[in-house]
Amino acid sequence: MLGRIGKWIDERTHLSDLWRSQMVDYKVPKNLTFPYAFGVMALVAFAIQIISGIFLTMYYQPNVQTAFDSVNYTIMKEVPFMWLIRHVHAAGANFFLAIVYLHMFTGIYYNAYKKPRELTWIVGWLIFFVLLMTALSGYLLPWGQLSYWGMVVTTEIPTSIPGPLGEAISVWMKGGYELGQITLGRFFGLHIWLLPLILLGLVSLHLYLVRAAGISNPEGIEIDKKKEGVPFHPYMTLKEAAYVMGYLAVFFFFVFFYMHHFLPPDNFEPADPFKTPPHIAPEWYLLAFYTVFRSIPNKFLGFVAFSLILLLLLLLPFLDFSPYKSARRRSLFFAMYIVLVISSMALTILGAMPPTPTNAMLGLVFTAGLFSFFLSLPIISIIEWGWYKTRGGDKT
Amino acid sequence: MIKTAFFTILTLVFFYIIWINNVFAPHETYEMPEQYKKIAEDDRYAKEGKQLFEQNCQACHSVRYDAVYPSAIQANPNLKALQEQYGKVLPRDVYESAFQAELAQLKESFGKVPPDLSTIYIAKGKEYLFNFILEPQKVLPGTSMPAVITGKPEETAKIISYLRSVSEPSSSEKAKRTLMGIGTIAYLVVMGVLIWIWRSRILKRMGLH
Repeated sequence: MLGRIGKWIDERTHLSDLWRSQMVDYKVPKNLTFPYAFGVMALVAFAIQIISGIFLTMYYQPNVQTAFDSVNYTIMKEVPFMWLIRHVHAAGANFFLAIVYLHMFTGIYYNAYKKPRELTWIVGWLIFFVLLMTALSGYLLPWGQLSYWGMVVTTEIPTSIPGPLGEAISVWMKGGYELGQITLGRFFGLHIWLLPLILLGLVSLHLYLVRAAGISNPEGIEIDKKKEGVPFHPYMTLKEAAYVMGYLAVFFFFVFFYMHHFLPPDNFEPADPFKTPPHIAPEWYLLAFYTVFRSIPNKFLGFVAFSLILLLLLLLPFLDFSPYKSARRRSLFFAMYIVLVISSMALTILGAMPPTPTNAMLGLVFTAGLFSFFLSLPIISIIEWGWYKTRGGDKT
Repeated sequence: MIKTAFFTILTLVFFYIIWINNVFAPHETYEMPEQYKKIAEDDRYAKEGKQLFEQNCQACHSVRYDAVYPSAIQANPNLKALQEQYGKVLPRDVYESAFQAELAQLKESFGKVPPDLSTIYIAKGKEYLFNFILEPQKVLPGTSMPAVITGKPEETAKIISYLRSVSEPSSSEKAKRTLMGIGTIAYLVVMGVLIWIWRSRILKRMGLH
């Protein structure tokens, strides 16, 4: 009976053809390494955020008077199992960003941004940017002390632009001169509707581009897919399904046993505009940008520096025009990649430290390290073009 | 192989440092004797703690998530009617507009309305609360909180036990959650292993291994 219903539907939709062409006949390189699974893990993390977020909106109230209670009483104490949904959503945001960072660093390592995948990288960068906006807007919603003061600091960043423009942007973000109901309302709207919808569109586009331009290869040599590729299903689907199970096991370990870490204690006090908490710092995924901003003595230059880092990241496919691909066969690139990794990690760790003069000095050193990675790429590319020509156009 | 090991260890060390270097962890530490910690963490003292709370703290403080309101509000005849309409735990906007006069009175006496203590246990932790309740001026100079039960550490610990029971799930609920967590993780691990075994069988049949 079920088979007949399935056949009836298939005769009209041709879904089995779609499955065959997109999953079975679609061939991928056999030598993909473990980090290639970060992509599908990010997709799973995104799905978890969407689903848990939908359930949270059923009980959350975007109102300065009741927001805090709706989170800490209705969701955490009153409605059965909503505590789990909130924990999943809060830890999920951290895990999502961690996986996205790992995915980005994998992409840089294997040069997955190079021709013909420039657009895949650019769309991925947009996802990263919108994701940060989503995380920032969602942080305000519980309307606790950290939510409130974190947003006060965030909306002050544009004021480092000299002249009336910075002030205007800041007021526009807040919807007034102070944070209040209007701010909460608009960030709620952004967080649950606009930004996730943009993300959904961008993620679909990203996935389409991965298909259209093909998956990169750890060896950096494009394969003849018909001869060397393996069918995406079942070879890759089952491998990644097993990895996703492992990822979820780690994720739920933290959700059930180390949750207090993702819900900072200061945020269990309702927002109070008259009481500044003693320590305000951004979440870990913003600490690197925060350190860059903080280490540079001039506020405006700090703003320019961290905007430049984001811009250079976007322009990565055009900075690196070497004929070779993948850090596996590019020793110069590999060395600079280590500089990039160490610098970003050090900047993040420094962000969590007190702002002493030594730390500010170190911050400047690692900021320089970060820039040197991006600026060395054109030089490395020119050198590698030289090698490429002396070898007579051999890409191995 | 060396590179894989290097990057794996580097990533794990990085996340470990970020984990222990938590920017949101409390920056000050407070002492609390072990015997009082045990009382504060014990659910059995919550009931007694609530009585002590009513005697010592309720004159000014509310624990709204437990439907405990400052004495003046508790005595207001409107409270019952409102609770019948909105439920025992009144929404904050309703509460603040209905009892404006009482709250204004408290504000006048202390400079601000004494905070609601529903989530204070998670926000401040038992060590801070223990020291603060015993000697408010020493922990937070200039605070308008009077030293109500100074010199009674056991009573203080019992009150903290009550506040904890409001902020946190009960120990039986916690045990349930632990069990749920173990079940979830075990399911995921078993499923992961099964998928892996199934995959290698399929691949063998397809001659891809």
